Amino acid sequence: MKNIVEIKGLTKKYLNKTALNNINLNIEEGKVVGILGPNGSGKTTLIKILAGLLRQTSGEVLIDGKNIGVDTKSIVSYLPDRNFLYKWMKIEDAMNLYKDFYYDFDEKKFNDILSFMKLEKNMKIDSLSKGMHEKLNLSLILARNAKLYILDEPIAGVDSVARDQILDAIINNYNEKSSMLITTHLVRDMESMLDEVVFLKEGNIILTGNAEALREERGMQIDDIYKEVFGE
Amino acid sequence: MDFNDNLPIYMQIMNLIKSKMVSGEISGGDKLPSVRELSKELKVNPNTIQRAYQELEREELVFTQRGMGTFVTEDIEIIKSLKRNMARELVDRFFMEMKKLGFNSDEVKSIVSDWSEKEERQ
Amino acid sequence: MFKYMKYEVRGTYRYILGVLSLVLILTTALYIYFNRVTNTSSEMSALEGIFIGLSVLILFGTALATFLYIVGSFRKELYEDTGYLTFTLPLTGNQIVGSKLVVALIWFIFLGVVIGLYNLIMMLIFVPVEVNFSELFSALFEIVNIKQILFSVLLIILSIVNILVIIYFSMTISRVTFRNKRIGGLWFILFLVLSGLIIYGGVKISEIFPYYIDINTFKIGTMDTLDKLYMEINDDIVLSADMDILTTNIASTVYMIIVTVLLFLGTGYLVEKKIDL
Repeated sequence: MKNIVEIKGLTKKYLNKTALNNINLNIEEGKVVGILGPNGSGKTTLIKILAGLLRQTSGEVLIDGKNIGVDTKSIVSYLPDRNFLYKWMKIEDAMNLYKDFYYDFDEKKFNDILSFMKLEKNMKIDSLSKGMHEKLNLSLILARNAKLYILDEPIAGVDSVARDQILDAIINNYNEKSSMLITTHLVRDMESMLDEVVFLKEGNIILTGNAEALREERGMQIDDIYKEVFGE
Repeated sequence: MDFNDNLPIYMQIMNLIKSKMVSGEISGGDKLPSVRELSKELKVNPNTIQRAYQELEREELVFTQRGMGTFVTEDIEIIKSLKRNMARELVDRFFMEMKKLGFNSDEVKSIVSDWSEKEERQ
Repeated sequence: MFKYMKYEVRGTYRYILGVLSLVLILTTALYIYFNRVTNTSSEMSALEGIFIGLSVLILFGTALATFLYIVGSFRKELYEDTGYLTFTLPLTGNQIVGSKLVVALIWFIFLGVVIGLYNLIMMLIFVPVEVNFSELFSALFEIVNIKQILFSVLLIILSIVNILVIIYFSMTISRVTFRNKRIGGLWFILFLVLSGLIIYGGVKISEIFPYYIDINTFKIGTMDTLDKLYMEINDDIVLSADMDILTTNIASTVYMIIVTVLLFLGTGYLVEKKIDL
């Protein structure tokens, strides 16, 4: 099985703290990997490095065998944890932007997900609620047939109806040619979707493995393992 | 589906399917939902569903036909013995729990008879 | 890159058109007002002064507001959430910076031309002077020729690009070095410092390489050989210089171009490889 992501010895240091410390991680094709940990554990830092928004201090990060750059950006579909679309846009403009810049964008898929999310193309972006925003962002990200999807806290801060819609959309998007990397601290809602889990604590990987194997080993759900690992 | 047991998810799915087979909700020869369909329905990773189906096939409860899907076995004996095994497990667990509460075997038997009579009267 | 320029234009055109409409309305109002008021020619000169003053103010205000807006568009990418979109698009740093630069230039030229033309039209409509066009134009061309106009335009464009690039570079550098602290005016200080240094450098270079080119004649030489500077020693010592805009110091122009290109590439490089959002 090919590795879509290969991370060796990744370290990210700032003046006053080490956000990531010697991370080693491989993500296989077709796998859904959850990066679990509380706020400040380094999840978002890891994601941003993969997305090309941060540089590592040291270590190697390869996506599909290439260093992070223009080439990897065209095969990575990134969902940030904030509203990142240009404020003047309507939903249709955002779609056109994605269509223009990403050859793997599937307009039909976008239309399907959009109507599933109960959104319409002529809506203005600055008039959307937080939940609608999140759903729109996800629609754009999932409408691409990318090799790697990176979702940063996809269900944080949305109501339960939106959350179910989002989870549904993510499940619907599975295919064996792509991999998904999802960060979350809401483990209970997401754990049944994950093949593998990585527990990140203060920049270090303290536990990693196949989700089902961990459940069997420890006789509890991942959420419970999470509480054990992170509860003080 | 609420995955709150302390079992791996694939086992819980297997148990779910086994119950349906035993209760007759799905009969011999019926086609099980595809891995993708079930994954969407239960909101579970398809690999997990796949594993459940594979284990069920190993226990000879289902069989896969390439390109067609996964089907419940038509072997009635196997389903019957599954039913028996599931019943026995339940009874074992019941007795264990009752013993924990401090009942002995005779007490348990009379409680069960009382319960059955009440059921029949209704 | 043109794809990105398309979105940059769409993101900014509303503001530009808004500013333009405002300016045109103000200009029209000014012309109408002064036309009404100046019925007697005796009041002309004082009002003319105020009129010209106000026009210049409007022009200056527009230029400043537009400038700040356009420059702010770049700053937004560095400090606000939209950077998460722009810097994850599969574009190189040079493509992003280049697009912003070109669009900014287009807007400036557009505004300059439209406002200029509009003023011309307004003058023709409102100023109560008999105008003989052919006389006007031939007189105009005696003072100024095509070469000078073209050359001036080129110089202006180079200057605009130069200033923009220094600003972009200053903003990017301050973003890269002071990760979290949004010291609001830091880029401006850097901009002033950099501009100062660059101008100083330019002056020094023109001193070291005092070779000029006269665009009229395409002759190259020093100030002396081009008959631009002469001394007359009579009973009095007279020094005179006959510089016009078409006499440019070759070295400093080349230096300007090189500096602009280097800063542009530098900004592109920083944006692509060094930004930490």
